[in-house]
Amino acid sequence: MTPANESEQWAATDGSGYGHLATLFVELVKLDLGDPRRAELRDRLVAEHLPLAHNIARRFSQRGEPQDDLEQVATVGLIHAVDRFEPERGSDFLSFAVPTITGEVRRHFRDHAWAVRVPRRLKDLHVAIGAAISVLSQQHGRAPTASELAEHLNLPREQILEGLEAAGAYRSSSLDSLLDADSPGAALEEIVGAADAELEQVEYRTTLGPLLERLPERERTIIKLRFFAGLTQSQIANQVGLSQMHVSRLLSRTLARLRDQLRGEP
Amino acid sequence: MSVVGSGEPAGTSTPGQGGRIVVVQVGASASELHPLRLVAAGLAARADFDLDTVEDLRLAVDQAASELVAVAAPDAVLTCTFCLEDARMEVTSSVPAQPGAILPQDSFGWRVLTTLVDEVWVTGEPDSATPVMSITLSKRRSNNTVTERR
Repeated sequence: MTPANESEQWAATDGSGYGHLATLFVELVKLDLGDPRRAELRDRLVAEHLPLAHNIARRFSQRGEPQDDLEQVATVGLIHAVDRFEPERGSDFLSFAVPTITGEVRRHFRDHAWAVRVPRRLKDLHVAIGAAISVLSQQHGRAPTASELAEHLNLPREQILEGLEAAGAYRSSSLDSLLDADSPGAALEEIVGAADAELEQVEYRTTLGPLLERLPERERTIIKLRFFAGLTQSQIANQVGLSQMHVSRLLSRTLARLRDQLRGEP
Repeated sequence: MSVVGSGEPAGTSTPGQGGRIVVVQVGASASELHPLRLVAAGLAARADFDLDTVEDLRLAVDQAASELVAVAAPDAVLTCTFCLEDARMEVTSSVPAQPGAILPQDSFGWRVLTTLVDEVWVTGEPDSATPVMSITLSKRRSNNTVTERR
């Protein structure tokens, strides 16, 4: 499909059409860069074309990326298109904007290539491995190894390793929720209390404390249990009613966030 | 990223059978550390470390590399050497640092590191005109001891 056909298709399916906005682009390029009316006009053009960006984002849904993220990326593409469009060249905005927005979304997928297109087989494996980790952790009192998982699931070890690599490599919050248990353990409050006491003793509570308070409750609890109460990830999973894989992902994400924030305030 | 080398360790003190060294280099920037996390977790899982240990190593390598990124000289390359022995994994991360740079050991980041691994230490010569800062961490597999049954 050529870009021109593609843009015709968008205009046709959208119904309302964007033709009435064409003259605004001519006005926009006539205004000086510093003119406040220019910023106003630019905002309006972006806002009026938002349905186009969202349509394109929807076309890429079902590929494992959150819809919000896709719409945001498509909107960035739209803003680029509005800024770079040169109406005096004679082409219409849509035939310029559609490939620009699509390119931005495609670039997002390319940069997050590991986060998408996980084969169905690996998703099933992910669920099976998650459940097996939980069962074996209960049995052994520690997390299982790849060999133990292979034996338990009666699958080749190589396949388990492949599944673990995929699990570490792509975001799978929806799959995590399939595995997560219902309710936190009863002893949780006591352990969190002990972690708080430990946290009080350290010097950096003045900087770290406020940052921890700003975290969502679940993330804050997990950080305290791992780094101040000394629980392992599978023990935490058991306590808070999440899968070990989910705890691992939350820890990783929260540490990155805390690092950024601690760096931000020296 | 570049995988500089991979193979048997050259030293005489390392074990012949289970020993294995992988060296990976990435730009010293927070956005380029992803391969280090993958290598840490991949090597440990393949060596049959239990998954708590695998995930701790993934986080620890990420944390150590992030600490070094904060003190790295402009455009520096971060070198990460993974040494896998039978009973433990040792990872040394090094970067050319800004002169006078220090790694505070009363920080949350240091707390995270010491919680995640068995041993961690810093080497460097901050007074040098071209200092190199290194963090070495070492973690034993926890599943070669007798498993506690309930």
